[in-house]
Amino acid sequence: MVDDTNVKLISEKDLDEFVNKLIDNKTYNVMGVKAKGERFVFDHLDNAKELRLDYDVTILPPKKYFLPPSEKLMDFNITKSFDIKKSKKSKKRIIIGIHPYDIIAIQQMDKYYLDSQKDDFYKKRRENTIIIGSDIQNVSKHSFAESMKTHTTYSGFDILLTNLGNKYAVTIGSKQGNDLLEKYGHFRDAKKSELKKIDKIRNQIASQYDKKVDIDKEEWSKYLVANYNNTLWEEKSDKCMSCSSCTMVCPTCYCYNILDDVSLNLKEGGRIRTWDGCLLKDFTKVGSGEIFRDDKKERYRHRFYRKGNYLPERYGFVACVGCGRCAIACLPNIADPCEVMNTLSSFDKSAETDKYFIKQQTKVPDKGTIHIPRSATIKNINKLTDRETLIEIKLDDNKSLGHSPGQFVEVSVLGIGEAPISISSPPKKDPTFQLVVRKVGNVTSKLVSLKPGDKIGIRGPFGNGFDIKKLENKNIIFVCAGLGVAPLRSLYLYVTDKKNRKKFKELKILYGCKEPCEAMFLDEFEELKKTSDYECKMTVDKCPKGECWEGEVGLITTLFPKIDYDNSKSKDTISVVCGPPIMYKFAIKSLKDMKIPDKNIYVSLERHMKCGVGKCGHCQINGVYVCKEGPVFRYDKVKKLPEALE
Amino acid sequence: MKPKVAFFDFSSCEGCQLQIANLEEEILDLISIVDVVSFREVMKEHSDNYEIAFIEGSIMRPMDVTRLRNIRENAKILVALGACATIGGINKIRNQWPADEVKKEVYGDADIKDNRYFDAFQTKAIDEVVKVDYYIHGCPINRDEFKHVVTSLALGKEPIIPNYPVCVECKKNENICMFEKGEFCLGPITGAGCGAICPTHRSACDGCRGIISKPEVECVMDILKRYDLTYEELKSKSKLYNYSREANK
Ligand SMILES: Cc1cc2nc3c(=O)[nH]c(=O)nc-3n(C[C@H](O)[C@H](O)[C@H](O)COP(=O)(O)OP(=O)(O)OC[C@H]3O[C@@H](n4cnc5c(N)ncnc54)[C@H](O)[C@@H]3O)c2cc1C
Ligand code: SF4
Ligand code: SF4
Ligand code: SF4
Ligand code: SF4
Ligand code: FES
Repeated sequence: MVDDTNVKLISEKDLDEFVNKLIDNKTYNVMGVKAKGERFVFDHLDNAKELRLDYDVTILPPKKYFLPPSEKLMDFNITKSFDIKKSKKSKKRIIIGIHPYDIIAIQQMDKYYLDSQKDDFYKKRRENTIIIGSDIQNVSKHSFAESMKTHTTYSGFDILLTNLGNKYAVTIGSKQGNDLLEKYGHFRDAKKSELKKIDKIRNQIASQYDKKVDIDKEEWSKYLVANYNNTLWEEKSDKCMSCSSCTMVCPTCYCYNILDDVSLNLKEGGRIRTWDGCLLKDFTKVGSGEIFRDDKKERYRHRFYRKGNYLPERYGFVACVGCGRCAIACLPNIADPCEVMNTLSSFDKSAETDKYFIKQQTKVPDKGTIHIPRSATIKNINKLTDRETLIEIKLDDNKSLGHSPGQFVEVSVLGIGEAPISISSPPKKDPTFQLVVRKVGNVTSKLVSLKPGDKIGIRGPFGNGFDIKKLENKNIIFVCAGLGVAPLRSLYLYVTDKKNRKKFKELKILYGCKEPCEAMFLDEFEELKKTSDYECKMTVDKCPKGECWEGEVGLITTLFPKIDYDNSKSKDTISVVCGPPIMYKFAIKSLKDMKIPDKNIYVSLERHMKCGVGKCGHCQINGVYVCKEGPVFRYDKVKKLPEALE
Repeated sequence: MKPKVAFFDFSSCEGCQLQIANLEEEILDLISIVDVVSFREVMKEHSDNYEIAFIEGSIMRPMDVTRLRNIRENAKILVALGACATIGGINKIRNQWPADEVKKEVYGDADIKDNRYFDAFQTKAIDEVVKVDYYIHGCPINRDEFKHVVTSLALGKEPIIPNYPVCVECKKNENICMFEKGEFCLGPITGAGCGAICPTHRSACDGCRGIISKPEVECVMDILKRYDLTYEELKSKSKLYNYSREANK
């Protein structure tokens, strides 16, 4: 019901005048809904006459003003050592004509982008923008906003316009909106009868929706969880062209990509954020070439689960406002959530809901501006193998990194890009730390070619590391395969340290790699033995003739029977596992054979990562952000999580 | 040390090289980061001492094959420049007919039998003859993408060429979809990177950057039906640049 104290009335003519005054005033950039051919778009307004409040739906939602399709996050000069500038402030803006469902989508975006790790770029734009909403006058034939209860809204705007024939009701939603109207508008208070008319008009709009969802939005999550393996996903996605048009046009899809670009003179450059889409094949690709959602069925399904299960579980709202844009944009006509949910309505909905979601409180670092790295200097750089290099880094602000074992940093080489790399040194008070970098692509190849004194950028530490307290008074079995030794080194160097050793019981380190020439830290393991008591076993997959190797030959699983261990210790034993995706299944089986309970096993998972703070969407395993809730997970929590360890 | 760069042309309209010649002031930036040792379109000098070779045009004759193999041997990095080079492009339209018939149609009874300049076989893209390291797609190429590839190679990094369809860029430009206007568009199956320039200028994508995926027949049929289009329209569209060309990936 409309609250009368803040509703004013303005004639059609005066509304035009109000808008023109805003435009002429030059303090603001004024945007509004305009016609584009047969469709409508939000665009720069030159005159109130261009404004089309009778539109049905715009091609793109107003998210383009808060998360632009492409934006520069910072400028830099790659010829200087570490020279970055955050991109400049923008003029204050007014957007006129946003429909209620899009206003609600912006409110959802606020929850997502302004949570404990704020997106400063988004925040500035939000604070800089005045929203003049408009009640719907014509319903788009693809929209099902009424089913989603998003065809009207009572918040989220500074001003809301409702067409009452030849005049408009103006609902004031904020002081800012009030000031704007008082300063530039010619209006009067609304009469009782006019207030009633607002409700009547909204009810009329509600009755115009032909498209209806048969499942209440509160129930979407249940139906989805119960039907994860329904044949529907396969049948529909057979027609999917992986074009991601459905996510581009959606007001509640906010995944992005980040790339560095450099001018042709190889001096100035910028870090660019662009829209990305989870329906695109490379969205989950990692350096090794593996694609985690390789099958289009998985990508197609992911979008519906994100809207109807993952975000609802996390934030409490269904991330679809029923605008119908995806239904218009998808050429084979398979993207429409209304149709998909209606198909699901004939299936079962009884299954446990938390199966696909880890409700876990995570510490989020709220230091500095999102995506802007701190400057750091390479102190030492040592080749370990043909592919791997140990890099020691010092933060230029002389503060300690403050990480826990298992966490990672985002490392920037300006002009090349950024890559997530695990911290390989134990927690320390001084500002230095170490990384082991394997040369695979652009950023990593550049990193290993740097020299002491060169500057790089660091963001983080990010993610959930190992909870050291939980490891105290326990036996610990480290299972490190290949590059998996890098993050685990941070932990085993900590627990074997003289100061800490007595807090832990027996320590076993199992280490495997492909060939002897790929083995890392052999000398360090030897050295450690002098000061700390632990058992270490090593293996290589194969040992070519002529190479010298004192350890075992065979897969990492061959090491388990070789350690001094009996199953009676199992309850008191914790195992931490890190290696290539394929290895987990086998290592975990061996640990189970040793009767180690699932909840005593920790795994560290790798995914494609861009932001490190739960925003860009790349690292998601179902609803779980590996960058935030991981990369370290307790095995019992992820073993049922589809996509995690398969 | 600036990398030495050479440009070569085979059967093409030389429009792609023109795109580079038209970089104007930025040409100075270009020659400040690379050493151009051969570029017929803008200079007379020529040298066979180069690291990066940009190849424009399609391969039509045995003599082209010999020349191209030579270039491949000289160059560390070989880049195919423009649709004629990357996918065969327009030049492949004639592959619908046997080479002999085409010659007869074009040259009539003229005596070209022993003339090696006319010894044409069916059109080939560069990668059908030698290994190509990088592709700069398009007819003509997109200057920004050319700059991206050159700066990447100069910095020693892999250029990032989108592996997603034109629709992504088209949607970012907020275009009305050509299908909604009743036209068949190859955007959903063509690799992006051009900024969706054609639909942005109200003409459907012809697929000049090459086909990246092949949708299921059933899907195509659904789309044709939904937008009241015919299979013939689809076929004539895909022949322009992608005759006998399978999906790139
Ligand atoms: C939590 C975590 C910890 C890691 N720890 C280490 C480590 O200690 N040592 C090490 O050498 N490597 C580590 N990696 C892998 C490393 O991040 C990738 O090898 C690296 O991102 C590849 O980047 P590139 O530019 O060299 O390769 P390219 O192939 O040129 O990268 C291509 C693109 O894909 C993205 N990308 C590719 N792979 C990944 C990936 N795995 N994660 C995120 N983005 C990716 C990049 O951002 C880039 O945009 C870790 C990855 C994760 C997620
Ligand atoms: S999923 Fe479709 S209907 Fe729902 S908000 Fe996104 S574009 Fe609109
Ligand atoms: S669901 Fe439709 S719009 Fe989305 S990627 Fe698949 S074909 Fe494209
Ligand atoms: S016009 Fe073409 S490229 Fe653009 S969205 Fe439609 S099909 Fe895709
Ligand atoms: S829109 Fe299509 S035809 Fe036009 S330049 Fe891009 S790929 Fe080529
Ligand atoms: S959400 Fe961006 S890396 Fe996890």
